[in-house]
Amino acid sequence: MKKSKLNKEEILHLAKLSNLTLTNDEIEKYRKQLEETVEYVENLNELDTRKVEPTSQTTNLTDVFFKDGVENKRGLSQNEAMKNAKNKKNDYFVVKRIM
Amino acid sequence: MDLLGKSLLELKQLVADKKISEKEINEYFLKRIKKYNPQLNAYLTVNENSAHLPLAVKDNFCTKGLKTTASSKVLDNFIPPYESTVTERLINNGFSVIGKTNMDAWAHGSSTETSDYGPTKNPWDTNRSPGGSSGGSAAAVSAYLTPAAIGSETAGSIRQPAAWSGVVGLKPTFGRVSRYGVIAMGSSFDCPGPLTTTVTDAAYLLGVIAGKDQFDATSSSIKAADYNQLLKNKNKYTIGISDDYFDGVDEQTINKIEKSIEILKKLGHKIKKITLIHPKYDISIYTILQRAEVSSNLSRYDGIRYGNERNEFGVEAKRRIMLGAYTLSYGYYDAYYKKAQKARTLIVNDMKKAFSEVDFIVAPTAPITALNLGEFEKYPFFGEVMDQLNEAAAVAGTPAINLPVGLDNNNLPVGMQIMGNYFEEEKILNLAYQFEKETDFFGVIKRGIDNYKD
Repeated sequence: MKKSKLNKEEILHLAKLSNLTLTNDEIEKYRKQLEETVEYVENLNELDTRKVEPTSQTTNLTDVFFKDGVENKRGLSQNEAMKNAKNKKNDYFVVKRIM
Repeated sequence: MDLLGKSLLELKQLVADKKISEKEINEYFLKRIKKYNPQLNAYLTVNENSAHLPLAVKDNFCTKGLKTTASSKVLDNFIPPYESTVTERLINNGFSVIGKTNMDAWAHGSSTETSDYGPTKNPWDTNRSPGGSSGGSAAAVSAYLTPAAIGSETAGSIRQPAAWSGVVGLKPTFGRVSRYGVIAMGSSFDCPGPLTTTVTDAAYLLGVIAGKDQFDATSSSIKAADYNQLLKNKNKYTIGISDDYFDGVDEQTINKIEKSIEILKKLGHKIKKITLIHPKYDISIYTILQRAEVSSNLSRYDGIRYGNERNEFGVEAKRRIMLGAYTLSYGYYDAYYKKAQKARTLIVNDMKKAFSEVDFIVAPTAPITALNLGEFEKYPFFGEVMDQLNEAAAVAGTPAINLPVGLDNNNLPVGMQIMGNYFEEEKILNLAYQFEKETDFFGVIKRGIDNYKD
């Protein structure tokens, strides 16, 4: 792992990637805290993982498929799906202009 | 009829015998909630229409038509249009959700202090935290504002609040219980599970909620056992103890655990010293992987289809999202995320090796008893340190249970955990039941309830 010091630009970049708006105070606070955390997790370098495969699923499941033709009971009606939206028009979600 | 302290199964039997109606039971608990919830803040939403045997459910389970916030203002007005598999199974088995319990916002934390609706107070000392993130569920059971509750655990969020609030809390194997309809935090870790006043209730509730669910691809096809049937076996086991799990643990907690280990010996179980990978590495693996999963899972909250905009996220959620974005980003992915996934394999192998030598690992659940509210801010990285003894089972995806084993000098509950091998909940419950029969948890649960008279 390379030793990294986080700077303000990186925090702003992460905030942009995460679609979060930060105040100036928050930027400095998060910079310090994230740096502390990143320093702590460096201890993983003490573990030899050169010949180890990564684990993403702990109970060894593979290739779980939905059966063809099975009724999908998860579907919501348009009314149900729209019910919690604050901003809608003619049963459509209203979003910000993209272009 | 005096209902105070009756277990869920005792209440169920009373209803079956027509000695009391479900309506009377709901009135009883609603009255207690009205009386004690203002001082404990265990419930965020109370369901006055609860008609069947009541259960409290953590506020990150979607309940159709009943507000579900995950304790975040982002979901302040969210009314789920569908039912989580866990609550659906409970409803189909004759239960009602009497209320939704407080938690750390998005389950990020170990104290309930990150809740946007104020912390839950520990029923044993209302200046203290009940633990978290399932702190509302633990407090509601401890003060008997429900006969039992459902919580969820990513790393410690059932066991640690159960320890600090003095109740039984079971974290099942990953995939034993469906995550469908649970507001996702760390999708490769999250496990729903019961918090109860007896081992029998925990076994019963696990039986109701466990099993394959077509809507959660990570739920296991391994058949759930008949947990209650297996409780009464008098099996003898070999129990592993790792010295590293007593490292830095409060002395009074160690004393209680050692006393409990003596009791397990007296019951005929063998004790064997084992070595495990030090929990300080679990903290790092968990932190990296969980933050990555958080940043991905919380990206869906855009305020368009439901909920409020992202500026409603609290301090902790923002911190976690950004760290996840960092460890997943170009140039750091191999160094952090992939490294942690590989180290996770080492933990999985370490646990498998341990369980080839012993049936269980017994350890303290938390390094200290309940902290004062507000104390957490003094400890950077607090949750991870508090949960470090819980993280091996979380990272490996193996099951574990918290049992109360006494009170410290401040009259605060001490918790012991029994960790077991994959899908061996019935063995864990069997040993827990033997311990309960021998000790009655040293009267801790009864005393906790007696602090909150009718």
